[in-house]
Amino acid sequence: MTSSENVLEVRGLRKSYRSPMTRKKVEALKGVSFNIQAGTITGFLGANGAGKTTSIKCLLELAFADAGETVWFGKTGLSNEAKSKIGFLPERPYFYEYLTGSEFLRFYGQISGRIAPRDLETRVKQLLERVGLSHAGERPLRGYSKGMLQRIGIAQALIHRPEFVILDEPMTGLDPDGRHEVREIIQEVAAQGTAVFFSSHLLPDAESLCERLVILKKGELIFNGRTDALLSDLAQTWQLIWTAPGESGVKQLELSSLAEVQQRIDGLRKAGCEIRNVSMKRASLEEVFVRMAFDPKNEPSSPEAGR
Amino acid sequence: MNAIFVIAKNTFREVIRDRILYSLVVFALLLVLLSLALGQLSFDENIRLSANFGFTGIHISAMALAVFIGSTLVAKEIEKQTILTLLARPISRAQFIMGKALGLMAVVNVVVLSLGLILSVFLYFLNFNFQFEFLIALVGILFEAAILLSVALFFGSFARPIMTVVFTVAVFLLGHWVESLGYFIKRSESEFFKVTATAVQYVIPDLERMNWRSAPVYAVSVPLAEVAKAAGWTLGWIMFLVAATVLIFRRRDFV
Ligand SMILES: Nc1ncnc2c1ncn2[C@@H]1O[C@H](COP(=O)(O)OP(=O)(O)OP(=O)(O)O)[C@@H](O)[C@H]1O
Ligand SMILES: [Mg+2]
Repeated sequence: MTSSENVLEVRGLRKSYRSPMTRKKVEALKGVSFNIQAGTITGFLGANGAGKTTSIKCLLELAFADAGETVWFGKTGLSNEAKSKIGFLPERPYFYEYLTGSEFLRFYGQISGRIAPRDLETRVKQLLERVGLSHAGERPLRGYSKGMLQRIGIAQALIHRPEFVILDEPMTGLDPDGRHEVREIIQEVAAQGTAVFFSSHLLPDAESLCERLVILKKGELIFNGRTDALLSDLAQTWQLIWTAPGESGVKQLELSSLAEVQQRIDGLRKAGCEIRNVSMKRASLEEVFVRMAFDPKNEPSSPEAGR
Repeated sequence: MNAIFVIAKNTFREVIRDRILYSLVVFALLLVLLSLALGQLSFDENIRLSANFGFTGIHISAMALAVFIGSTLVAKEIEKQTILTLLARPISRAQFIMGKALGLMAVVNVVVLSLGLILSVFLYFLNFNFQFEFLIALVGILFEAAILLSVALFFGSFARPIMTVVFTVAVFLLGHWVESLGYFIKRSESEFFKVTATAVQYVIPDLERMNWRSAPVYAVSVPLAEVAKAAGWTLGWIMFLVAATVLIFRRRDFV
């Protein structure tokens, strides 16, 4: 029995595809392990082709991993009971075009087997309203715009009040208003105790929303932990401001470690400069991400990855 | 069990709202109308001709429905990726396949029974002599559609839709021919022909077995025991094909 704090534990997930043209093997996942804690919002980051969608599909057994193990809600393997507690929005939301918005939600509510029929109608109305589609509930999905489909897709993932929601790029294709709403929905759902795991390329969103992060690079895990830990360990820079003797203007310098700051101050003082300000600056996730992406230490097969 | 019905219900809705269905139904209605026109010539033989024509129309539309819609039923879910959200729900792949099959079969039932009703109204005005075999003929059409539908699902679990249609139509044609194959096997000198033909007899369902369409036309009676036997045989084929489909489908990646 593993920690009940985790809604999901993934161990050593491997998956390779055969390229349809060349028959060459592509290793999409090279032994990925991470965990998702109950009640938290976890971001799933990584460049295009890093393996995010592949991971999610393997987790949900929409594709079968070559190796690896998943533990859902403390139990090994993906049972129907576990599935009934999960909500999922795939990467490209195409849904049943012949259904209207509310028919679609009703269908997914029924199939989840978790909502009493009496409760379902109110739930459908509630969710349509929540995702801003009350006006379109009786229209067939055929006539929905891309953003509307994304919204109804999110509603579909939430209809059965899941304990864990997996969203593959939920903000892609939405206008700024829509993105804001999705951010709000994610926060709202998390506040009710649902764990949220979403992949995204929008780092400012991930930074502001996610308590924890899982980061992949070329099919390997390079980070799994708290967002603030990532940002403070890797991301501090110091700004040093001084004036040189006989000059009136200020000069500044960005330094990446405290030792370096001490050293510079000593040097500057000896040269008769006046230190005006030393301040610590936290880098944004965006900067950290770019740094990690190019850091040779994070090249695949670094030993500490996966822990 | 509940999951199968929810999927079946949605599949029913899917097919009912598909334009292809209406082209098929219009085609069938035209055939039935044509049969009426033939009957209007009103010799005694022509009432039979029109009944015959009517049953053929219903038969062909039911088969077209089973083959053409059955071949794309699962492929469409995969292509449009709707299968991803569905299989992430607490349903098994077996339930998914059975739900799809049941949903389409329900549509075939509705279409065949409605067309049968329309035909019987027409024939009534032509003073057709109805007997119970009229219903049995329709039931035979439903049995055959159910088998072909399962065949289409089976091929659809690994082949592309176009190939699925080709294979299923081949089974349909061979299925109406295997009965006569027995005659050739007895007559043939070639050992090779005997072996292959016998093999074909085993792998291709004999679809002439539930062809009771001429019985109501020529007032021949069909023993109920024969219908019951054919029903059991049909069920056997469906179970075998659905099991094989599920076996193939179970480990498939949706990427
Ligand atoms: N069906 C497939 N056949 C062959 N290779 C595939 C297939 N699907 C994905 N891949 C490969 O697997 C790797 C991971 O792809 P995946 O879609 O998981 O990335 P991702 O992180 O979701 O990317 P994105 O941010 O662009 O959505 C890529 O190298 C991709 O080329
Ligand atoms: Mg992806």
